Amino acid sequence: MSTKPFVVLENVGKQWNGQLGVEGISLEIEEGSFVALLGPSGCGKSTSLRLLAGLEIPDQGKIFIDGADVTTSAASDRNLSMVFQSYALFPHLSVAENVIFGLKVRRVPKAERQEKMERALKITGLEGLEKRKPGELSGGQRQRVALARAIVAGQRLCLMDEPLSNLDAKLRSSVRKDIKKLQRDLGITVVYVTHDQTEAMSMADKVVLMKDGHIQQIGSPNDLYNHPQNTFVAEFIGAPAMALIDSNIINGIENGNRIGLRAENITIVPLGEGRLSCRVSEAEFLGSETLIGLEHEGTTGLNVLQPGLSMLPSGQKIDITFDDQDLHIFNSAGESITGQ
Amino acid sequence: MSKLSHYVETAGAILLAIIWISPLLFAFWAAFHSTSDAVNFNVTSAWTLDNFRIAWDGAPWLKYFLNTFLLVTIVLIGQFFFTTLAGFAFAKLEFPGKNFVFILVLMQLFILPEVLIVENYAMVSRLGLFDSLFGVGMPYMASAFGIFLMRQSFKSVPIELHEAARIEGCGLLGILWRVYVPLAKPTYLAYALVSVSTHWNNFLWPLIVTNSPDTRPLTVGLSIFGAPENGVDISIISAATMMSVAPLLIAFLVFQRQFVQAFLRSGIK
Repeated sequence: MSTKPFVVLENVGKQWNGQLGVEGISLEIEEGSFVALLGPSGCGKSTSLRLLAGLEIPDQGKIFIDGADVTTSAASDRNLSMVFQSYALFPHLSVAENVIFGLKVRRVPKAERQEKMERALKITGLEGLEKRKPGELSGGQRQRVALARAIVAGQRLCLMDEPLSNLDAKLRSSVRKDIKKLQRDLGITVVYVTHDQTEAMSMADKVVLMKDGHIQQIGSPNDLYNHPQNTFVAEFIGAPAMALIDSNIINGIENGNRIGLRAENITIVPLGEGRLSCRVSEAEFLGSETLIGLEHEGTTGLNVLQPGLSMLPSGQKIDITFDDQDLHIFNSAGESITGQ
Repeated sequence: MSKLSHYVETAGAILLAIIWISPLLFAFWAAFHSTSDAVNFNVTSAWTLDNFRIAWDGAPWLKYFLNTFLLVTIVLIGQFFFTTLAGFAFAKLEFPGKNFVFILVLMQLFILPEVLIVENYAMVSRLGLFDSLFGVGMPYMASAFGIFLMRQSFKSVPIELHEAARIEGCGLLGILWRVYVPLAKPTYLAYALVSVSTHWNNFLWPLIVTNSPDTRPLTVGLSIFGAPENGVDISIISAATMMSVAPLLIAFLVFQRQFVQAFLRSGIK
């Protein structure tokens, strides 16, 4: 068992006063990888992270970190660090004191503390702000202090709970790159909770998509985008998400199934030549392309992308076509049966 | 109309302030004049420090000061210790019967301390603490008001800070010491203010439980000094009173701004 992954969750479950939190969470995380827990709010992604952190104790299942069973260990014994959504900086301590808080608690000698702190501040670009209090920093700076605190002790596992959700959009994309670079440079394992699929898809090696306390699919961003295992994944991942079409309105496909189709795989053809004729419901100009929403009985989320500015009046009839190889087929239970 | 009510309010406030401060002003006036000048309000009469000299020689004031200072310190330290631990338990820990016990603590707020004097006296005697400073201070250490105040203050600390400290390796007491206590500093300051002034001025209980000049605080010493059987001399009693209230009064005047801010901040938090 020497090749056991760095972090293992085995059938972990947690209930809140009889209400379901998470159930049957099984997950393997390789050392040095970036794993994103993705899902809508209330899906249990934060609960999973808190179980992993030791802030909650699971009702069932086992958790291993680096080969050791930590299912009931205290948070402090799990050798991990955490970045909180609110950053959780101690308002009464300066930046430097915040960063070395954990080192101080663990009685690391002063000289070593100083050295590690300077390194962490350098990596996060916070030099010169050592004496400031968190209240005197901008949102982005606070975020970096939280990151510095997470990396200063050199823990191999770092948990992040929606660390970017309090930043404005512009800052978010730059910090996203910083975090990814930091993770790669330090070679640490990051488990990252987010409800923003752009974050998950762009940063993670492995995405865990959750819903209602259950894992829906685990895979690379490519897997989730191109091989969704069920209709929930299909409708969650991608902007625009995958359209779902009842199979009985398209010829040549077995009835009773649902068909998934991405907007980029649909082409508009002259009237009378398409496989489906529908009505334009709305058109959205996105800059490099135009997203045209389509309506047809038995479809949800049907869209087509046209390059450049290509507005169509709503109500106009158009015909569309697509290749069979781009279709994702789901059975009546919503599970993918593509390629079977 | 609003201008008129503004004037009325201001006048009312000034009137109340004068009524409140007049005894202190009179004591101040009397302390620096001979008895007959003081009582006759002889404005042109000479100022004198004789009253202070006589009063100072009349009783072991230095001992009384020391006793009051020690008493206030002991009470405050004890209160900080007990209210911090109890407040933390009520605010952040789960244990069976928590709400019931908390209601019992709150009920203590409704009971006048004077009602419990006999029971406290018996208890202090049983513990062998009669006529000791510790015995004077002990009944006040587990203050219900303080526990309530600390609980409220600790409750307002975001749970993320608690969790962050846990992840960073703090034990429960470590979190209390490194996170909760520093964050509750304004509350501690405000509470210290109330506690110090209350116990500096406390009279009835120390009078009952102390028996010798070695343990008597200022208030008891002053009342014995001014008791009718020693002969009533308004000026000398005033001088003694001024001496005993001076340290607290000066401290209040000097730190006025900080005290007010402490109250404001502990309210906002």
